[in-house]
Amino acid sequence: MKALLSTDHKVVARAYLWAGLGFLGVGGLMAMLIRWQWGWPGRPVPGLGWALPESGGALTPPAYTGLFTMHGLVMVFFAITPLLIGALGHFVIPLAVGARGMAFPRLSAWSFRVFAAGGALVLVSFGVRLGTASAGWTSYPPLSAAHVFTPGVGQTLVMVGVVCAAVSSFLGAVNFVVTVVRCRAPGMGWGRLPLTVWGLFFTSVLNLLFVPVVAVATGLVLMDRVVGTRFFMAGAAVTGGGGDPLLYQHLFWMFGHPEVYILILPAWGMVGDFVAFFSRKRAHGYRGTVVAMGAVTGLSGLVYAHHLFTSGMAPMMGRAFMTLTLIISLPAMVMFLNWLMTVWRGSVRLTVPMVAALGTMVVFGLGGLSGLALGAVATDIPLHGTMWVVGHFHLTMAAASFLAVFAGLYFWFPKMFGRHLHTGLAMGHVVSSAVLFVAVFGGQLMAGYAGQLRRLYDPYQYTFLKHLLSLNQWTSVAAFALGSAQLLFVVNLVWTLRRGRVAEANPWQVGTLEWTCAPSPPPEDNYAEVPEVLRGPHELSQPEVYERLGRDWIGQAEALPEESKASTPEAQPALGGAG
Amino acid sequence: MDAASGRTLALPEDASAHGHRIDALLATNHRLEGLLALVVLGWLALAVWRFHKARRAAADGGTRRSRTLVLALALVTFGVVDGTLFVRSLGYVDEVLWNFEVPVKHPDTVRLEVNARQWTWEARYAGEDGRFGTADDVVTWSDVRVPVGVPVWVQLSSTDVVHGLALPNFRVKLDAVPGRVNQTWFQAAREGTWEVACYQHCGTSHYKMRGTLTVMAPEAYRAWLREASRQATRAYDAADSAAHWGWAWKEAP
Repeated sequence: MKALLSTDHKVVARAYLWAGLGFLGVGGLMAMLIRWQWGWPGRPVPGLGWALPESGGALTPPAYTGLFTMHGLVMVFFAITPLLIGALGHFVIPLAVGARGMAFPRLSAWSFRVFAAGGALVLVSFGVRLGTASAGWTSYPPLSAAHVFTPGVGQTLVMVGVVCAAVSSFLGAVNFVVTVVRCRAPGMGWGRLPLTVWGLFFTSVLNLLFVPVVAVATGLVLMDRVVGTRFFMAGAAVTGGGGDPLLYQHLFWMFGHPEVYILILPAWGMVGDFVAFFSRKRAHGYRGTVVAMGAVTGLSGLVYAHHLFTSGMAPMMGRAFMTLTLIISLPAMVMFLNWLMTVWRGSVRLTVPMVAALGTMVVFGLGGLSGLALGAVATDIPLHGTMWVVGHFHLTMAAASFLAVFAGLYFWFPKMFGRHLHTGLAMGHVVSSAVLFVAVFGGQLMAGYAGQLRRLYDPYQYTFLKHLLSLNQWTSVAAFALGSAQLLFVVNLVWTLRRGRVAEANPWQVGTLEWTCAPSPPPEDNYAEVPEVLRGPHELSQPEVYERLGRDWIGQAEALPEESKASTPEAQPALGGAG
Repeated sequence: MDAASGRTLALPEDASAHGHRIDALLATNHRLEGLLALVVLGWLALAVWRFHKARRAAADGGTRRSRTLVLALALVTFGVVDGTLFVRSLGYVDEVLWNFEVPVKHPDTVRLEVNARQWTWEARYAGEDGRFGTADDVVTWSDVRVPVGVPVWVQLSSTDVVHGLALPNFRVKLDAVPGRVNQTWFQAAREGTWEVACYQHCGTSHYKMRGTLTVMAPEAYRAWLREASRQATRAYDAADSAAHWGWAWKEAP
């Protein structure tokens, strides 16, 4: 209740955290059920008899379509987005830029309230007659738009929920952009922002630009569905003139492709920061990394139609979008190499956030590589609509964002709650998750390469897919292990919040403002005194600092003692993290 | 594990005249990607191992040289990996996928209208008179037959929702969208029976939208079509509007 009333960005962030983790659990359980169905199609799911009494707990085709639809929607809109942007974004941005709070505190509160309303609608949809939405997370009309194809109120409720999530994201984005542009502490130049803030900033710009597109597209589908308009209706669903179903696909992917960057840019930012922090050196090519992230942001809206290579698009468009799609891999490569170079010649500390960041690099690297073949028209054709696509985007959007969420959570948890999560449990959680992610999504890549189409209730209806049963069973076993590994986090969380070790002031020994200028957890106004920023976010292992302070880090707002200035003849290290 | 599971990592068997170009490109691409993954992740592992708790860390954020190196490495990788993919994909697109000159010019091209509906593939052949929309049109349900060795020019639409026509063994995928006619073409390299699949979620029984594609010897195909056309004429019912979903063939795509 407090969360719904408070305008403190830290309280809002915690509310997003609990909600996001809850939905992550819901989405994860649905994933387990989907995996069960692919491994043991039509066999009763142990313990599910109460939910599906008519089939004795076995998934029926309608139950299954609801599951994969809601798994996608819940994970994208109600788990990853709130965790990365709602929770970590709301928590970190004001602290990291040295602000007393968000630019518009009441907007923060409203963004959570609208999100919570959307989440409630989604939960309610599971209980209505004929079940929840089932038109796939992409909700292509006419399937999603006509009651003859998706009967029941579930589809309508969920789509209103998506509009709520979109409105919430938009409000949050306005707030983030204004906070970063207008509320930075004195001296916090653009070149001194932690990369995490850059990532969240670019994400917010994308949200600002593209979330309205999905809100409009979903809104028009809702009008087709509820009011009887025909924006996207054609064929037998209408008599007389109709609209164009393909128009929706263009609108949806104009949002949908940037959305993958919306979900990965904060992760990229965190990886950039964490590899620098825990290699005890400045981020390699800070400016290059920021430019690369900006380039991806700029290009993200221009590549979307590679999702439509098989839609019957004009050849001219196909060639243009293939070119643009391949170009976007260049900045991503620059950024990845910069992370690598940051670790190189560092002094690597394998803390939990660092291991999670390294895991993010691995899964994101594999995900990015497996996506190249989908960017070119010819190679996209055999892989389009298969599990290859599913494996690819799960590695980038799911595994990479998930590991980044937990890297961030393990990193900022002491700041959020003043307590340390248990390191051993955390390490076990992160390492096992990373390994199992590669196993599960690697299995999906293999199944897709062999031709398994996505979303099939029973893939083995097709004889050319029958031999994939054992592969799918192994993949499902890995998925169940992955699901169980999350218990390590739950146990850790419960145990820590009850009796966890109280965190020291700066456990990671880094210089960013939240660790050096505010207590843990920070009071309502964050800073007793607004810090004056003197240097970049990664001033680690500077010889001068080491000599004068006897440690390898210095606060962003911390002045070097004046008296020793005369004793060192060599030049001051350059201010700012620009490298 | 059954005997076929040895093929887990292989693409579905290729039965088309042109699919090998895609397969070869995919193979090249995956080798390059595998190499890249090995190099990059190996480098990462080496860096972590070698610099774990190293006594000193570099104090800088990279030198001009190291930053140039990063840019150069990225450009070279991009040029090689993305470059191969781009050039050869463009070649396939220009010469095969979007080159309708081939079916237009070939004298024996088979023209086929496909209408997708929940949850079946309706296929229409012009019949003996060579025109669509006449009494001798042959219509089949989830049972497509084509002759071997000639281009098959497909025009595709949908009655109800968006479906996706997939011929995995012919490297063909194309959406069936209500209200518009999409086009593609392929050429079978050998006789046999293959599967037609739907790859766009189209409702509860999406997974059952399976058809068969029979590739026949040309003379067998002609005999089948002649007989089917004769029967169609006999069974023609002018009042059965649901059966008249065909369209006038669109000559230039």
